Amino acid sequence: MRAVRLASVIFVLVTLQTTLMADLAIRGTCADIVMLLPIAVGIVHGREEGAIAGFASGLVLDLVVHGTPAGFFALGYTLTGYIVGITHGTVLRAAWWIPVLTAVGGSVVGVTTLGVLAKMVGLEGYLNNHLIVVALVVAVVNGALVLPMLRVVRWALPTATGSGRLVLS
Amino acid sequence: MALSRRTGRSRFTLVLLILTSVTVLTLDFRGSGTINTLRDGASAVFDPVRGGAEHVFGPVGDAWNGVWHYGDVRKENERLRAELDTVKGQQAQQQDAQKQLQVISDLDKISQWTTLNGVDARIVAGPLTNFEHTLEIDKGSNDGIAVDMPVVTGAGLVGRISEVEKSRSVVKLMTDPDVVVGVRLLSSQETGLMHGTGDGQPLMIDEGIGPKVPVPPNELVTTSGEDRAAYPPNVPIGTVRTSTLSSDQLQQVLTVDPLADLGNLTIVKVLLWQPSP
Repeated sequence: MRAVRLASVIFVLVTLQTTLMADLAIRGTCADIVMLLPIAVGIVHGREEGAIAGFASGLVLDLVVHGTPAGFFALGYTLTGYIVGITHGTVLRAAWWIPVLTAVGGSVVGVTTLGVLAKMVGLEGYLNNHLIVVALVVAVVNGALVLPMLRVVRWALPTATGSGRLVLS
Repeated sequence: MALSRRTGRSRFTLVLLILTSVTVLTLDFRGSGTINTLRDGASAVFDPVRGGAEHVFGPVGDAWNGVWHYGDVRKENERLRAELDTVKGQQAQQQDAQKQLQVISDLDKISQWTTLNGVDARIVAGPLTNFEHTLEIDKGSNDGIAVDMPVVTGAGLVGRISEVEKSRSVVKLMTDPDVVVGVRLLSSQETGLMHGTGDGQPLMIDEGIGPKVPVPPNELVTTSGEDRAAYPPNVPIGTVRTSTLSSDQLQQVLTVDPLADLGNLTIVKVLLWQPSP
């Protein structure tokens, strides 16, 4: 059931990314709401689950977009989810702004990771000053959307009772 | 003990996912049929949904672009009105020149790109992420489009077709650093190689133009169309913005502003032309 819910969330996010978010680009820079999934899962469930969610969502995005090689977003979002997930359990979550701040920081890390990966796989023209603008746009949008996304993640991937572990079954 | 076991497991999972991603990357770089099949499957699932979603979200995007580009549109409108007046004056002279050019071209059997058959197509999606230099158009193999065909607007070259489906195609913009175009400078007729440098950045010619070649300001750059070139000859590309000497002083490095407004494309033309094998 959890796997079905996670697949549904990924489907909706990829559809929104490739339609609405691409349309709402400002001077060629668009938001990256698919990246929000591994960030939110990392915040709620930790690094392993963040990495898995990042891999799954990234792989689907890889198969839909045409300008990047398959595996590019899967690798980038895996690392993003894992890195964000490291913060899981290390901070008190009493304040609402902590996940927001984590999402902003995670987005900057994610965009930078993708920029470096782009260079490594031979995609030129991305690791430059424009990447700062991209990171800012993605961070602001993801910071604004992370709280509702956390609710979506808790619905899609509730923590298994008793074990405290995410089970995709 | 439990914490260290969990940390070890999460690291193992991370390594496994990284290796899987790298394997997928490798398979795609090698042109694996499996990846292409998966992509086709994903397209079959997502394309209809995206088509529907575009209808729903299209007006939102239009409104958004209207808000953000209102000032630009006004300025562009004023600029275009001024240009239109100038063009009207030049049109009469050009008609005569065009006739003469046609006669010469017929004599020399030189093909003009404006006479090539083409398919008009509408842009249905811009870059879907921040790591692409591509556009999607609403025409595909059903309309005779094939990979590597050049894509133009009335102003000049836009890019080339990189992927084709039955009713959609992907255009790789010439701002992509991977896109290399053989070019010719109009006044000197010198040829060189040009490539993109990323979104919003000028194009760059960094091979073939010697240090002593005169390059006037705003020199027009066109496709060279030399033997086995990937583009037909004489398609306008842009005008030279700057010229500097390379670090070894052996050639000039030119930056070129594209004539086509690559950031605001709505309709393009795919030239039904393929490079000779």
